[in-house]
This record gives sequence, structure tokens and C-alpha cells, in this order.
Amino acid sequence: MTVAERPIPVPDEESAPYWEAAAAHVLALPRCSNCRAYSMPPDTVCPHCHSTDPRFAFEPVSGRGSVRSWTTVRQSFLPGFDADVPFVLVDVEVDEQPDLRLIGRLLDGPDVPLRIGAPVAVGFEERAPGIAVLAFELRESR
Amino acid sequence: MSGRFAASNQVAIVGYAQSPVQRHAKQPLGVVALDTARSAIADAGLTVSQVDGFTTGSLFPTAGAHTVQDGVSIVSSNWLAEHLGVNPRYAAGFQGYGQIPGAVALAVNAVAAGAADYVLLHRALHNPTGRYHGNPMREAAGFAQWNVPQGYFGPLAMIALPYNEYLQRYGASRETMATVVVEARKNGARIPWSYWYEQPIDVDDYLAAPMICDPICRYDCDIPVDGVAAFVFTSAERARDLPHRPVYVSGYATGHPTARRLPTHWPLDDIMTTGRETGRRLWEHAGLGPADVDLPQVYDGFSPFVYFWLEVLGFCPEGGAHEFVQGGGIDSDAPGGLPVLSGGGALGNGRMHGVPQMLECYLQLSGRAGARQRSAATVGVACHSSPHFGGAVVYRAQGS
Repeated sequence: MTVAERPIPVPDEESAPYWEAAAAHVLALPRCSNCRAYSMPPDTVCPHCHSTDPRFAFEPVSGRGSVRSWTTVRQSFLPGFDADVPFVLVDVEVDEQPDLRLIGRLLDGPDVPLRIGAPVAVGFEERAPGIAVLAFELRESR
Repeated sequence: MSGRFAASNQVAIVGYAQSPVQRHAKQPLGVVALDTARSAIADAGLTVSQVDGFTTGSLFPTAGAHTVQDGVSIVSSNWLAEHLGVNPRYAAGFQGYGQIPGAVALAVNAVAAGAADYVLLHRALHNPTGRYHGNPMREAAGFAQWNVPQGYFGPLAMIALPYNEYLQRYGASRETMATVVVEARKNGARIPWSYWYEQPIDVDDYLAAPMICDPICRYDCDIPVDGVAAFVFTSAERARDLPHRPVYVSGYATGHPTARRLPTHWPLDDIMTTGRETGRRLWEHAGLGPADVDLPQVYDGFSPFVYFWLEVLGFCPEGGAHEFVQGGGIDSDAPGGLPVLSGGGALGNGRMHGVPQMLECYLQLSGRAGARQRSAATVGVACHSSPHFGGAVVYRAQGS
């Protein structure tokens, strides 16, 4: 029996710059060329200024943020994560913009104490040649 | 512009039917839907040929890779009308979340506008073989590229995040939710058509259940089932000639959050901010408030929704639902308890979405609840889904 692999992201024309930056372990988030607000994920219309020509540019951000919530996944509905449970997912508000939220695995393991507001920094997991997936690490234990 | 519903109390439910709620029906879902629809039409004292409107929300609420096939895993209004042999004047499906209040709004609006005289609303839910939400996808393309590669997938993680945010923010404990689930199962155990008929659980059972996505355990989730319910709507005027006491629709509301989010990301503040607006709109639409309601049936497909609905509808302060529950506030058998899960909800019946809430309002307000009939039941609210994406309907008994 083969072990299932985690699903691999498939970059498209719009998201390619995000995944290119991620491969270099840089978090680059889409920013509206009109109002300069970040949106994640990008959209056909800017959700902030409602411009129909947002021309989202993927700009590097600090990768720092704070934990707004978390969950410990003990059963994944994606077979590719069966070997990884239990793992923690953190819901992170990034420092660049209020309420700009990302979700990623916490690389510090399933038993680390967490609290609302805990500072984190972005990390990346190498999944395939040229493909790295966003994750987070706690900053305060360093 | 007034937020009061112009057709308030002008359209009524006049009959219903519900199939057994079971893990896997012996017949295809479409067949169960047809039998249930015919029963509901007969219950209303009508014939199939009189029904000229059909509404539903036919979403198959799985994150899995199961096939969506009309008549098999979903049943649309058009499929149902076609297989009943009816060419309806009006057939519509609600596209959003909160399929029950959404489909009720379509039905009520159609009758009020004269687009149809007798509207059949149905909801058909299917439990496929295999894991309900299991998905063997190897590649995450399109919208899924933003959440799936990091393992954020499916509705359990979706609800776990705002629920944990709630627990942390308000200093609530997971153990308190046992009271909610035990209440739902207590009431479901009294309902012969429930999957959980005669199967109550206690607090120890709840606390012993396996954790799936902390703080969500198995019993915080409703169990997937095959089941169909159908209701017949007509005008208050036509309802007078029909056999059962009508139950009027006073108003409804549905939420539509505007924040751009990752797929299935429902932050607590999204739920509560848009949810408060859903609640405000509901009361304005129906022309009453929480103090007027004696049968508030909150949605409980995942147990934390009970807290969120109690708060956005104003039955307790924001952040206070866990204390309200802990203090016995939702015990439907206690004098002064708010019967929010008297119909068993989804946790006490099975994954019938918002049907148990709607059905309890109908049965109690029409005086058809049998041994479970409550003496004081004049105004009910039936909620469905999350307060920010879902909605609620206010029902009123005749003469109240």
C-alpha cells in the first residue's frame, strides 16, 4: 500500500509570483495597485476599494504576525496528512495590515503552549522541487 | 425604507412530511424525496396537481470527493417537480449557505408575489458511502491552493478556529459544551424519526468522545444521514380552507459577509459582526424581538453555533452564552429554561441541516407535536448554518 502524499499546490497565472517567492522562502502577499491594501487570497476585484482593475502585485512582507486562534488536528480529511497528525494549525494576523489573516501549520510541534497574541514568524515547508508551503514558528521561545 | 417584511404573516406553512433519518436509506435519495413530497402535499390536504411552486437549497455539504448527481446525492427543485410530473410556474434553488432560511424566503416571496399558489419546499440530505469529508486530492488548484497544501481543510478545522478563539477570549471551557450536546441528544432521543431516538448521552459520554480538531470532538458534530423533509406553503387566505392550523412566516434574514478570506476561514469576529446584523435584520423584518420568542431553535450542526446564535439573537450577552448554558439556561424541561434545542437540533437528529429547527417550530406552533407538545409556543425562530453566512426565520402561531 502506498502512503498518500500531501496535496501539492498548482500555481496559476495569477498566483505564480506567490509560489515563486515561497520557493525562495519569502512571503509575498497580493497588494492592490489602486488602494495599496493587501488581500489574501487575491480576487478579480479588490475587496477593499472594489476596483475592477486591482493589478495585484505580490510584495514581500515581514512574515511576522500574532496568533488569533489555533486548532490541533488529530484526524485529517486529507489522507496525505495522516502521517503528520497530530499537528497544530495557527490562524495568524500578519503585522502589515489589521485583520489580514493567514493559516499555516505551526512547526514547533503539537504540544507547545499557545496563547492568543503569541508572536510568530513565517516558515516554509519544502514539498516538491520548487514548491514550498507556508508555515509558522513561534518567536517568543527564541 | 423600512426593514419590516411587507408580507409578514401573509404566507403560512400548511403541511409537512419527513422521512426516517437514517445512516443509509435503502432507496435512492430521489425516491425518498418523491415519497416525502407526496406525503407533505397530502398532509396539507392538496393534490400534486395543485402544487405550482418548488424551492430548495440542494447543496451537498461535503468536503469530500463525492459525486454530485441530481436525484442521487442531491435533489433539486427541478428534479423533484419533473419526477412528480409537474411543470411548475415557479422553481428555484437557494445558492448560499443557510439553505433552509434561504429556501423559505424563496417560497414565501413566491407565494406573496403570486408567482405560485402552493409551494413545496424540500430538503434532501445524503450520506455517501466512505468518509463524508475524506478527500484524496493530490493537487490543490484554484481556490484550494490557498488552504489545502498546509493541511487546513474541511469544516471541522473551519469551526475549531473560531470556537477556540471564543474559548480563549471569554475564558470558557470546552467541558461546558457537554451541556449543549446532552440537551440536544436528550430531546432527539424523544423523537421517533431521529437517528438518535432513545439514545441520549450524558456528560461523561461527551467528555470521553475522541477529539478530532481541538477543541472539537466527535460529539460536537452532527452525524451524516440520509433524510428528506418537505413543507407546503400557501397564502394565509388559502390556508383557512386547509385541514391543519397554519403557521405564519413573520420574517427572515440571511447574512452575507464581505471580508475576503482563505477558503473555509471563518474568524470569530466575522461570525459575530455579520451575525449581529443578521439578528438585527431578523427582528426588524419580523417586527418583534427576542423577548417575544418562546421557541428559539438555534442551529447546532456544530455545537459552537449554539453559542453564536444565542448571542447574535440577543438571548444572552456577547461572550456570555457559555455561562448562560452552564446556568441551565437552555434546559427545555426546566421552568424558565429557553427551549433552544427542544426539537433535538442536528446534533439530536442527524445532519438534516436546518430541518429539525424548522420542523420543531412548525410542529409546536401548529399544535401537532403530540406527546412533546409545549403549552406555551406562539413565536418560534428557526436558525440554520452560521449567523454570518446562514440565516433564520421567525414563525408565528395562528391567533397569536
